[in-house]
Amino acid sequence: MGLLCSKNRHYAEADIEENAQAAEIERRIEQETKAEKHIQKLLLLGAGESGKSTIFKQIKLLFQTGFDEAELKSYVSVIDANIYQTIKILYDGSKEFAHNDVNSSKYVLSSENKVIGEKLSEIGSRLDYPRLNRELAEEIGELWKDSAIQETYARGIELQVPDCTHYFMENLQRLSDANYVPTKEDVLYARVRTTGVVEIQFSPVGENKKSGEVYRLFDVGGQRNERRKWIHLFEGVTAVIFCAAINEYDQTLFEDEQKNRMMETKELFDWVLKQPCFEKTSFMLFLNKFDIFEKKVLKVPLNVCEWFKDYQPVSAGKQEIEHAFEFIKKKFEELYFQSTAPDRVDRVFKVYRTTALDQKVVKKTFKLVDETLRRRNLLEAGLL
Amino acid sequence: MPMYQPSTRREADMKLDSQVLDLETAVKDGILGGGCGVIPTDFSSEKLDLKLMIEELEFVDVPTVFICPISLEPMQDPVTLCTGQTYERSNILKWFSLGRYTCPTTMQELWDDSVTPNKTLQQLIFSWFSQKYLAMKKRSEDVQGRVKEILENLKKVKGQARVQALKELRQVVQAHGIAKKTVVENGGVGLISSLLGPYTTHAVGSEVIGVLVNLNLISNIKSDLLQPAKMSLMVDILNEGSFETKLNCTRLITMLMEGNDFVSENVASLSLLVGLLRLAKDKKHQNGVLAGLSLLKVLCSHEQVRNSFVNVGAVPQLVELMPGLNNECLELVLYLLELLSNIPEGRLALKDCPLTIPNVVKLLMKASENCTQLALSILYVICKFAPEECASLALDAGLAAKLLLVIQSGCNPVLKQRSAELLKLCSLNYTTTIFISKCNLTRTIQ
Repeated sequence: MGLLCSKNRHYAEADIEENAQAAEIERRIEQETKAEKHIQKLLLLGAGESGKSTIFKQIKLLFQTGFDEAELKSYVSVIDANIYQTIKILYDGSKEFAHNDVNSSKYVLSSENKVIGEKLSEIGSRLDYPRLNRELAEEIGELWKDSAIQETYARGIELQVPDCTHYFMENLQRLSDANYVPTKEDVLYARVRTTGVVEIQFSPVGENKKSGEVYRLFDVGGQRNERRKWIHLFEGVTAVIFCAAINEYDQTLFEDEQKNRMMETKELFDWVLKQPCFEKTSFMLFLNKFDIFEKKVLKVPLNVCEWFKDYQPVSAGKQEIEHAFEFIKKKFEELYFQSTAPDRVDRVFKVYRTTALDQKVVKKTFKLVDETLRRRNLLEAGLL
Repeated sequence: MPMYQPSTRREADMKLDSQVLDLETAVKDGILGGGCGVIPTDFSSEKLDLKLMIEELEFVDVPTVFICPISLEPMQDPVTLCTGQTYERSNILKWFSLGRYTCPTTMQELWDDSVTPNKTLQQLIFSWFSQKYLAMKKRSEDVQGRVKEILENLKKVKGQARVQALKELRQVVQAHGIAKKTVVENGGVGLISSLLGPYTTHAVGSEVIGVLVNLNLISNIKSDLLQPAKMSLMVDILNEGSFETKLNCTRLITMLMEGNDFVSENVASLSLLVGLLRLAKDKKHQNGVLAGLSLLKVLCSHEQVRNSFVNVGAVPQLVELMPGLNNECLELVLYLLELLSNIPEGRLALKDCPLTIPNVVKLLMKASENCTQLALSILYVICKFAPEECASLALDAGLAAKLLLVIQSGCNPVLKQRSAELLKLCSLNYTTTIFISKCNLTRTIQ
């Protein structure tokens, strides 16, 4: 009898505890769902190497605690890899040009440098790279200075030479130091292909240091893969930050050397605009890599890109740069309105000129993005 | 022993006795009404010219006793007739010279044609105007001082403080005409426009535009503001702003376009066209509708712009906008549609929009003659473009009756001619009997 009673009591207690736990879980879910609603989600999209991850890193540096020493150190191997890969591309490229080009003599290295080149090319093809040391750095430096390599670098676009080349090559001594810890700038230049999705949560600190909105920023890889399979997971994001590198109008894709990068960006933008999941999403278009664009546009005419074939230069110097920029901006605008159904025309669409490597620019630009999104919120809440 | 208490009766007590002891006091204490407190003045120091002061104070409420009954203007040299009525000397003498020896207000025959100068009144008028004038001068100096202060401030502050300073400047400029001049004279225009840059926040930008729109802008400032980067910013602000901001942006762009229509093409970005359309559709704010449509008219004077305009779906939006607009706006909408009907994409869009024909036909002979003329042009173009479809639709909408009305009315002959042509065009596909039956005409018109 006593046994029965006590068993019942156990059951009863167990029940109560279970209910209590369930209630607690419910409550937690409700709380978190509520909190989630206030978090504005931002999605970084764009073709490969358009600068999405650099923006991501900048936001981390600006509004979070930045990179701690461990994180900074984790970039050493990335930077080493960038250096080896780059010098290999250049060396192999010089050999190719020396073999095929009409002016082959331009691309012929000195005999000492050829030896270095072979050695570095071998290292560059390994899976694991050795840590950059004084000796290797000197050799790479020698090779870099060779006129044949410089001539090859001038045609870097044909070889998919990354943008960080010049920066790293000029800093070899510092980078090869035994106690080298990458600086923030080094980290911004380091190039690693993003796989999967990365996210950070941050709150842009306002003028009066009061916390403003809470944002969660997502960065997805840019290369072509099955975008259409995962894109709908981002339904309901507050804004898409679409990065387009405007200097790429004369370059081809890493994954498809027949396709012009700007055309790829154009198609991607068009595709993204038409996605049903982004019906009400605000679009912030970052026309990125303006610093490289500035230097290129006066030398390489815009109309080498099919999309810009109707471009006509009007002047020279700074005015011409501005004119070319406005032309590209107009093209993107046209594309936006073409790809936007009449019932979607009310979503926010703004274009920003950025240089993702410049922290000040990113900070100022983000301030404007933040203002726009906050105003949009107020408008939707009927408070404006 | 009762001491004689020297009178400490205040001036107020004296007023009660209706004894005006001195003019200055009387005016200062506002006996005549319209007084505005004590302003320390020194009448003898400045030689104030009454005529000048009257001119400068033209909007002030002048006490009726100072006004000449003939000219309804303040009197500078008041004279009194034997009837006791006072007039401006030159006016009453002119009256006399016409041979009338009566008192204009009382209509009495004058038994004595002498005019007596009313020195008392003259001095009162002079004092009153002087006081007002000096007060105005002081106020305007205050305003000028305030404006200069704000401009200096703007050179230094940033962020929220900058927004506040601009808001204040805007209020001052809107309230006082003199402030506008001061801003211009102290390099304020250049200073404020320089605040518009690629990283200007909406808060600052909208206030800057709010100030600029009240000022007279000279051509090099206009050119500066017409730069693509600044125009882009203005368009963004227009699209994101409150109604007031939208209106200010529209007005400012309109100001910049004046005399500069060759820049239409560069200015009229797609975002601007879309933004203006949005403004024009906002029926809650009629002045916004008018401003938006007016600017669109200016921009569409350029051919390239018309193409873009059609591409952003302007035609169906304009057509749907028509019912319920006032005549001025209707004329603008029809003007735009007529412009667009001259390009192939425009014609197509007009034809494809189901409401075009019914809405346009309704306007015939409804609003102004201009509207009718434009409506006829549009209908003619569409019906010529796609006769089978459109003629039928037009007739169903009651076109024929309207056309006959135009032909029979007192409109100018060009309209009648057009109507006849249109009628003919519509009837081409039908035999007479079918046509007449399609027209749904009443027996009498038949």
